[in-house]
Amino acid sequence: MVARDLLNRLKEMLGPALLRVDTPADDRIFIHVERDAIRAVCRHVFRDLGARYVISIGADDRPFSGQYLVAHDFAFDAAHLLGSVVTHVPEGDPRLDSITPDVPAANWAERELRDLVGIEPVGHVEPKRLILPDGWPEGAHPLRKDVAWNFVPEGYDPERAFKFGEPPPGCTVVPFGPFHPTLDEPAHFRLYVEGEVVRGCEYRGFMVHRGIEKLAESVLSYNDIPMAAERICGICGCVHNVAYAQAVEEAAVLRAPPRAEYIRTIMLEIERLHSHLLWVGLACHILGFDTLFMQSFRIREPVMWIAEKISGNRKTYALCLIGGVRWDLTLELIAELRRVLDTLEAEWRAVIKAVLGDKNVQQRARGVGVADRSLVQELSLIGPVARAAGVPLDCRRDHPYAAYDRVEFEVVTHEGGDVWARIVVRMKEVLQSIEIIRQCLDKMEPGPIQLAITDELPVGRYGLSSVEAPRGESHHFVITGENHRPRRWRVRAPTYQNLQAVPAMIKDQQLADMTITLGSIDPCFSCTDRFEIVDLATSTTRVWSAEELARLARAGRR
Amino acid sequence: MTSLLSKIREVMVGWNAGRVTLPYPAAPAPPPPRFRGRPIFDATKCIGCAGCANNCPAREILVYDVCQEIRILKYLGRRCTYCGRCADVCPEGAITMSGEFENATPAIGDIEQRLELFMSTCQRCGRCFTEPSPLEQLKLKGYRFDDLEHDRWVFRSQGYLENSPVVDDLTIELD
Repeated sequence: MVARDLLNRLKEMLGPALLRVDTPADDRIFIHVERDAIRAVCRHVFRDLGARYVISIGADDRPFSGQYLVAHDFAFDAAHLLGSVVTHVPEGDPRLDSITPDVPAANWAERELRDLVGIEPVGHVEPKRLILPDGWPEGAHPLRKDVAWNFVPEGYDPERAFKFGEPPPGCTVVPFGPFHPTLDEPAHFRLYVEGEVVRGCEYRGFMVHRGIEKLAESVLSYNDIPMAAERICGICGCVHNVAYAQAVEEAAVLRAPPRAEYIRTIMLEIERLHSHLLWVGLACHILGFDTLFMQSFRIREPVMWIAEKISGNRKTYALCLIGGVRWDLTLELIAELRRVLDTLEAEWRAVIKAVLGDKNVQQRARGVGVADRSLVQELSLIGPVARAAGVPLDCRRDHPYAAYDRVEFEVVTHEGGDVWARIVVRMKEVLQSIEIIRQCLDKMEPGPIQLAITDELPVGRYGLSSVEAPRGESHHFVITGENHRPRRWRVRAPTYQNLQAVPAMIKDQQLADMTITLGSIDPCFSCTDRFEIVDLATSTTRVWSAEELARLARAGRR
Repeated sequence: MTSLLSKIREVMVGWNAGRVTLPYPAAPAPPPPRFRGRPIFDATKCIGCAGCANNCPAREILVYDVCQEIRILKYLGRRCTYCGRCADVCPEGAITMSGEFENATPAIGDIEQRLELFMSTCQRCGRCFTEPSPLEQLKLKGYRFDDLEHDRWVFRSQGYLENSPVVDDLTIELD
């Protein structure tokens, strides 16, 4: 119904610039528009209709339609609708009006469009390089179809450095990262500091860009990709695994059997349990409260063990194939899972009771790293960051997938938008996850766990999937393709949006609060970057001697 | 005052837990039955269909035909993610995901497995690998002729991939 409403409004507004609208399901809409209308449509959708920006996808569609394809994904959370504004860009003129002036949340995604597909966002507010390394030559765009996955461009210039902006007057530059004790992965923040107060900052990351998307669309096949998708993230791997499978299933109009949906839900919640317990521990560790760090990890360990018993591995569950799951739950496993949940609940309630009254933690975390409602809206922030600002966003409820439409749970929110609020939200969500798993175990019925796929998947179909990861919404976009692999698979990890808010969150804060502010969004740089160069063709190895390494280091310094 | 109370509660959380550290590695820690450890290839069961080699997400299994009758199957194990897809698709149950997890080694060759298989001429359909679903079937028309010396995938094909957009995904040698 909402999709119909939206359609009528857009028809009125755009007239002939609206080319086609597809509504393959009640909760999906694909709006195909003329290239010149893209900015107006996105402004209307974002500003007037209050949609949340999700991600932009650029694809090289030249071998199929002779044009590039750009899609801007939006979510109408209250209306339970995921939408995509799709346009084509001609081969000879790969330019497109930037939507960033109207939709600030699209900043990174449009820069990525420029780097990887070579579509110029005209009028972008910050047209700097985002993903490609600084020395990478202009004009070589890895995600174009005529570029091989192992392409090495000529003219790489190791001397070229990134051009940072000028620091504000009176400020000193303090580099934070790429290697910093509180960062588990590399990212560089250039902080502009006046005395002890941070006045601004600039980000340069994407140092662990791994090329998973390129590998998927040129080397792997449909049922290989779930195992690669899982390795996008070391914490929420199962989320990417499920999100990918769901996106392909949606594109191919397949549906996993009910028992498989329940098992997906259970494994996602087990993953959320372990992630929340891990994050609460790490946040306390950053604050210098190592007692709770140790206890969180101790309480978390049985969750890892039960995951290992169900799936064969503590963390990489290798759960989904297209159309189902690989591991079934036996009666013994169900009984044991229930026991684990009971112990966990009792222990975690004791921890919550203790920590919520702890004034030391509160003093350290209250009023720090604030992301208020307006920032959440402007930058389309998601997950615990949004919920801690009192914005009840949760894909599990807003865009139900797997078996989430058959379980009841509460979307935990808190007021304040600071680090403390995020701690409270994530601590309380643990209890909700336990409840969800119990309901799934009660409602699950015997049956098959894998759909029998009898035909090859159709080509050129679109599929969207949003899955609520522990740290926010993971969004996958798939265009199905030839040779048993997608033409395009776009992954948007939650940190991709939340990290863009860190400069605003840290502004006018104490320098010492930088670590916990960054830690509080639970950044996952590898998820955001998604690249790993694994040389499949020449997997020759070479051992470097200490002398050689030293020589190399000296040569680099010269 | 409330803070003092919460400090006492926090102490109790740790106190009640008692000692939790396991004696591993002084005592063994056997993994659960479903554990996906190092895959073990059974040469007596393997029929050399190469289904595992074509469905390994990490591309860690190589195939090379020495002659009409002898096929070499080589598992490298370096990038292996222990996902267990090889064991899934094996029509003969020749691959087991074992309980071995202490696989760290300074010599990378230690975890390799090499199977020398006798390939008798099949009198039936000639297609030994039956795909679990159409998604596992081979789409590329040609055959694997991997470079065992340099551990490289090589895909040989005749007259294929002249205009295909996915030419570059594998090392292709046109005969």
